[in-house]
Amino acid sequence: MLFAEKEIAISHLRHLANDCAEPGWDGNAAFAIDSDVLQNAEDLVRSLPYGIPAPECAPEPDGSISLDWIQSRKRMFSLSIGSNNRLAYAWLDGTDKGHGVACFDGLSIPARVLSEIHHTLGHGNAFLRIA
Amino acid sequence: MSDGEDLVRFLTQSSQFSTTLVLVKPATFLPNPRDQNTSVSRHGREPEDKLWAIGQVAAGSRTLHGAAIFKAVNVRAAKLEVVPDEPPQRHAVITGWARDADPVLQKAKQIEAALLIAGAAELLLVK
Repeated sequence: MLFAEKEIAISHLRHLANDCAEPGWDGNAAFAIDSDVLQNAEDLVRSLPYGIPAPECAPEPDGSISLDWIQSRKRMFSLSIGSNNRLAYAWLDGTDKGHGVACFDGLSIPARVLSEIHHTLGHGNAFLRIA
Repeated sequence: MSDGEDLVRFLTQSSQFSTTLVLVKPATFLPNPRDQNTSVSRHGREPEDKLWAIGQVAAGSRTLHGAAIFKAVNVRAAKLEVVPDEPPQRHAVITGWARDADPVLQKAKQIEAALLIAGAAELLLVK
């Protein structure tokens, strides 16, 4: 992911956080996206290595931010970023699916997460899937 | 509710879907943090005027961007259940989302289920 692409992705994150800055943004009981969550999401995007495309981003009802890498409707990887350093993630790959939890140190994408992103994007031959 | 019954989740944030990929993002289906349910309506894509009328009521003052259309069987394929929850008329909720003592692991399990629904849902945008 190039520097300019990261800046565009971060701009999208800030726009999303601004749209969801108040509780109830979903018309129901969604929690607001606070500054800690936004900062964690920005840190994660900044730490994406070259070759990983920019993720799609979406708000979650509990105030987290979802970063999604989507190859097709049957091949998706979704990563949830909250206010602490633990990341929830899950993937769908045809009939295969799974989930996991990883820790993010603010600097480097966890190896397991990176492996699943590569696999989703079809770069799986170069990486060993760790699930 | 039969497996073939149509369900709709209305989209009030532009970030809930991708027009490029023509699909609804998984976070759209995650449950409300207070009651662990996801609100839906029992309606399909037709008749479209009625669909959007229900959507406008559901959206309230927010902008209605579109709808995610799927079937009850897609919910059950994700090991969840959908049950009527009126009023309002034709309202239902997706229940049975994973629970775990570890909230992050619980979230990961819920995302896995949401991915399955997202993969099956059809995106319909307001014209």
